Parts: sequence; structure tokens; C-alpha cells
Amino acid sequence: MGGVTLLRNKFGKLAISTLAGAMLMAAAACGGSSDSGSSTASPGASGEASQSGSLKVGLAFDVGGRGDKSFNDSAYAGLERAQKELGAEIRDLSPAGDGSNRGELLRQLADAGYNPIVAVGFAYAADVEKVAKEYTDVQFAIVDSASNGPNVTGLLFAEQQGSYLAGVAAALKSKTGHLGFVGGVESDLIKKFEAGFLAGAKATKPDIKIDSKYLTPDGDFSGFKAPDKGKIAAEKMFQDGADIVYHAAGDSGQGVFQAAAAAGEGKWAIGVDADQALTVKDQALSKVIMTSMLKRVDNAVFEYIKAFQGGAKGGSDVVYDLKTEGVGLATTGDHISDIQDKLDEAKQKIISGEITVPDKP
Amino acid sequence: MSVQTVSEGTAEARRVRRYHLVLIGVALLIVALSLVRVLADATDLTSSGTFRAALGLAIPIGLAGLGGLWAERAGVVNIGLEGMMVLGTWFAGWAGYQWGPLAALVAGLLGGALGGLLHAVATVTFGVDHIISGVAINLLGPGITRFLSEVLYREGTAASEAGAGITTSPTLAEVPTVSVPLLSSGQDWLGDLESTHWFLLSDVAGMLRGLTRDVNVLAILAVALIPLTYYVLWHTAFGLRLRSCGENPWAAESLGVNVYRTKYIATVISGAFAGLGGVFLVFVTQKYVEGQTSGRGFIGLAAMIFGNWRPGGLAAGASLFGYADGLQLRSSQAVTGLFLFGALLLLGYAIMQARKAATAANRTAGTYTAVAFAALGAVALLWLWLTVDTLPNEFVFITPHVLTLLVLSVASQRLRMPKADGVRYRRGEQH
Repeated sequence: MGGVTLLRNKFGKLAISTLAGAMLMAAAACGGSSDSGSSTASPGASGEASQSGSLKVGLAFDVGGRGDKSFNDSAYAGLERAQKELGAEIRDLSPAGDGSNRGELLRQLADAGYNPIVAVGFAYAADVEKVAKEYTDVQFAIVDSASNGPNVTGLLFAEQQGSYLAGVAAALKSKTGHLGFVGGVESDLIKKFEAGFLAGAKATKPDIKIDSKYLTPDGDFSGFKAPDKGKIAAEKMFQDGADIVYHAAGDSGQGVFQAAAAAGEGKWAIGVDADQALTVKDQALSKVIMTSMLKRVDNAVFEYIKAFQGGAKGGSDVVYDLKTEGVGLATTGDHISDIQDKLDEAKQKIISGEITVPDKP
Repeated sequence: MSVQTVSEGTAEARRVRRYHLVLIGVALLIVALSLVRVLADATDLTSSGTFRAALGLAIPIGLAGLGGLWAERAGVVNIGLEGMMVLGTWFAGWAGYQWGPLAALVAGLLGGALGGLLHAVATVTFGVDHIISGVAINLLGPGITRFLSEVLYREGTAASEAGAGITTSPTLAEVPTVSVPLLSSGQDWLGDLESTHWFLLSDVAGMLRGLTRDVNVLAILAVALIPLTYYVLWHTAFGLRLRSCGENPWAAESLGVNVYRTKYIATVISGAFAGLGGVFLVFVTQKYVEGQTSGRGFIGLAAMIFGNWRPGGLAAGASLFGYADGLQLRSSQAVTGLFLFGALLLLGYAIMQARKAATAANRTAGTYTAVAFAALGAVALLWLWLTVDTLPNEFVFITPHVLTLLVLSVASQRLRMPKADGVRYRRGEQH
């Protein structure tokens, strides 16, 4: 009997290694297919580009790809603006579901003569570093990660500053003096959101209570794709008396909105990255979204392309903060218009340097 | 003749005794849990919210495990459950946003069953190694669904207007939920009882309320599938034939069972159940999100092995995992309470072993070592509970895995898989 179980275990190990190997192949195949799907945008663009010079901009999406109504779409908006205003020829590629072919996408773009190439998402860090070394005459930009090569520009955001404003808004709007924060993955990036939110709320109301919960530990990115878990975590916060919960949890935010809607009148959620009151199409959910902490990836991408055209070279980071309108709060629904003056005041204090927002909780 | 009846009688008696033992064990666990809840002041250990979360987290795992059970009892190893579950989620999302929850249910079932059918064609008809085929389906599931999303949900389509993206479907209509009147809705007697925080009474009320308030109709169906599976597999002629294919297909063949057909049916049902697990995930989220299964198919398979290839056992395994996961998501402070709970359990075990050692026949070195280790463990856990104020997040996250591993390591000594599980069967080739 033990032999059978042993055999089974061996099968398991074999299965895992086969799985890993086969996934790589499948991923490569998927990359090809998504490429052909999205390159339909190119022909029209190339016509324009041939007239206005040879600015060819490639963009590789984060897992989720185009149409995620958030991060990636925002990056694409910046790319489209570059196409319109700068006459750039553009091309975008989406990685496979597990994101294993990121390096492949970058090489594909570089081989096709695209320069600069924008990689969306911190998950590209290792691949950009490697590929940038192979193509030293191509300029790369990576969103949400620091520069890691002489021809790489890091496009960073001061998420903590935007989150600080979200914290101020939540503290001013809360009737129970109790807030919540749901983070998708306990990574340094998401901790910046928490740190800013905590600082903003505490600065506004020192005795405010804030519950924080991360869905998965660092490295396990399923926390961005687990709405059911986001719902459980937020449900608990609302049950304990919190009336506003801020999320930085990607797709898991859907669960936070559901929990807010189910908790009844006077319970709110704060969205993230995009203006989620607009992008969440479900009426029941979008009406509980008080505001969203915007991350203007579109501005960052456009400004980078513009700077590249002006001759800027990589090797350094550009931080998009409140001053440069890189982050901010959405006003859809007019839920925070009554406290706008106080938010502006906080914003001015951060811009002038009177308040320094911590980036670690 | 008389000998036979006597042996049947004792078998019957033994079964009754085991059944009673399980009931007594569950009752004792609840009492211990209530005690810990009071001592550790961790309301969430027995709150309705935790049990509600546990139910929601356990069901997809349990359904995947049930799928695994059907296939493996018929001798087909099914590690493709994850892929079939992914198919279930996608089809449920796609049909659900257009034609409502019922269509989502049917489409998800069919999507999963399709995966099962593929597995059956590969393993039963073509005799492909079960692991290879399962791995292929695990790759195929996410691949196909991604492809379908890119075709049907791409920018500019009607679905995209309705809120779809490459990784998500549009939102589904809400799935009806039911509550038990008076007890958990309306008057909400259980809720009143729970909020009094009396020892035992409030705890039981919390558990019952969590399991009976606003329950998704699919959850009821899923729970009903456990006894139904037990009945079909162990109390019908079809079930006997199915299990005989898993134990010794050649013997089954010699008795006239159509082994190929039976394995086909079992594997397709297996895929359908995994797909149903996917449908449940979509119903909870009200939309399809790529990657939302996040390995639950594999955990379901583990729950089935945990449960010794039995429906009751796998339900227990899924519930344990769901409970621990729900607890860690709600309150890390309550997780620390589990230290005390563990200490209590070990103490009980030590006392039991010590009493056993009191009789001369059992006075062996092994018993004494067991007593010593259990007592030591209890002290260590108690010390941890007293000193650890807030558990580091890293430990909180792994609670469900650690807890399941611990129980498994204690309970897994007598696991027995179906004898011809994973064995390639060819008609007429007696081994």
C-alpha cells in the first residue's frame, strides 16, 4: 500500500515539473495569439507615423492585459494620446495568463524596431533588466518599478500621497470613527497605499480606528484575483463598525464593493487606480464607491514618450506625485465635494513639503 | 447461516458505534471551541460571520474534491480538476451575464463536464497516462478560456460595453439566497442569542446562524451532493459497479460490467462537479475573474485524499480548510486562539493515552512517549498562546495549510486509495 502512495507522490512531483515546463510553452503560444489580436490597431497608426518621422512606441501590458478597466487601460490611454498628439506608431502586447512570457514580449517589440518600449507593472522588473542589457540601443520604461539599467526609466507613483488624501476624505466622512483597508498582496508597493491611508486618516482624526488586512503574502499574487476573499475581509470590517473601507486589491476590490453594498446604508468603499465609480458597471456597486485613488498611468506613459522624443535618456526614475497630477482623488458621484476645500488644503501641504507622507506603515 | 447473521450484526453494531463516536467527537470539539472562545475572548472563533465565510470557502473545495472522488472511485486519477473548474468559471460567467444564473449553472456544469469528457477520451479510450492528461487539461483550461475572453470580451464588443475585460466577464444578476425564517432572518432568534455571548449557547447559535442565513441556493445543492454521492456510490448497483472499476476492473469486466462506459460516466460527472465548484465561485463574485480558482482544484484533490476517498471525509477536510481560511481572513487575533484550542486537544489526548496506560496490557514505551509528547506539545502551545500577542502576518496566511497538514499527519495513517486507481485498463487484457 505504501508503494502505491509513494508512486503517487512521484507522479505528483513529475506532474509539477511537467506542468511548469508545459506552462512555459503554452505561455509562449498565447503571447503569439494575443499579439495578432491587438496589432490590428497598428496599420492606421503606421500610416501616420511614416509622415511624421519614426517614433515607434511598443507597450507590454501587465497580466490582465488590455480591457482591465484599470491599470492597463490607463497605460493604453497614454499610448493612444502619444499616437494622436505625437504621431507615434504604436503596438501593444499582452502576456499569457500566468505572465511567464514577459521577456519574450519585450524582445519581440525590440526586434520589430520599437523604441522606446514601455513595460506596465512591477512584475516586469527582472525581465526588463535582462532584455535592456541585450538591447542597449533601445530605451525602456517600466511602470511601478525603479530603473535598473542605464537605458531603463522607472515610472513611479507617489501612491502614498494619493492614499493620504483618501485617508483624509475617509476620516472626514466617517460617522463611526472606524475605517478599513484591504490590501491584495502584502508587497512593498501595496504597503505604500496602506501607509498613506493610515497617515492621512490619523492626521485628520488622531483617535480613529483602522483595520488592515492583506489577502495573500508577498509573492502570492492570487490576492489580486480573489473577490470572494476580499468580500470576507471587508465584511468583517463592516460588521465590526467600520463604515468606509479602502482597497488596493485589484480585482479583489469587487468583493469589497459587494461587502459595502450588502452592509447597507451609510457604508462606503474607496476604489483604486482607475475611477472605479465609472468603470464598475454594476449600479448597485458603483453607488457605494465614495471616491477612487487615481493613479494616472496615462499621464506617466505620455510624458515619458514626450520626454523620449525630446531626447531624454534612461537610467533614472521619474516620480509622479500630487504636484504633477500623477495621483489624486476621483470626484465622480460628488460624494466628496463638501470636503473638497479640506482635501485641497492637505494636497497643498503635501506639495509644499509641509507634510511628508510615509511610504511604510 | 447463523454465523453470517451474527457477523452482519456486529458489523452493524460497529458502524452505529462509529457514527455515535463521530457525533460525540463533534460535540466535544464544539464545547472545546466555545471554551477557547470565552477564555481567549476571540468572538470570531465561533461567530456567524466566520462560519458563513467557512461555508463559502469550503464549497468550491468540496465540490472539486467530490469530482475527484467520482473519478478516482472509478479508477481514473483526476488531477485535471483545476482546469475543469476554470472551464466552469468561464462558461458560468459567459452564460450568466446574458441569460441569468440558471443558464450559468447549466453552462458551468457543461463546461466542466466537457473537460471531464476530454479526460475520459484520453485516459479511457486512448489509455493515456492519467497524470499527463490531467496536466494537459490544467493547461488547456486557462488557455482556452483566455482565448475565448480575447475573442468575445475584446474592446469594442457588446460584452466589453457591459463591463467585460480580457480577464473578467460582465456582472451577473444576483443569485437568490435563502434564510431560515424566525431563526436566522426576520426575528433572527439565533442572532439575538449569538450577541449575548453566553458560553456554548451563543457559540452554537453563531455556527447555525452562519450556516443558515442568506445561503446561496447553490450552496444547499452542493451540500446535498455529499450524502447523495454516498448513497449512489455505496448503496446502488450502479455505485457498486463504479467502485468495482476502481478496485479491480478485470473482475468487474468478468462479471459483465461495461468498464469503459462506467469510467466515462464517472469522469464526466467528475468534471461536471468541478465545473459546479467554478459556478459557485462565479456566483459569489457575481462575475468571472481570470485566475479566481487559484488552485482550489488541487486543494479539493487534497481534501479527497485527506478524507480517505470517502464523501464524509472529504467534506470534513474541505470544511477544516474553509474554516481556517475564513478565520484568518477575518481575524488574526482569533487565529492565536487556535493555540489554546490545540493545547486543549493535546491535553485531552494525553489524558486519554494516560488512562490507556493504566491498564497493564497497554503499558508500553510507545504509550508513555505519546503521553509525554502530547503533554509537552500542550505546554508549548499554551505558552505560545500566553506570550504571542499578535501573530506575524506570515503565519496568519498559512493557517489553513498548517492546520490541514497537522490534522492530516495525525489522521493519515490508514489511508487507502482504490486499488486500481490510475491503472491503465484495456478490455480483455487481464493482468
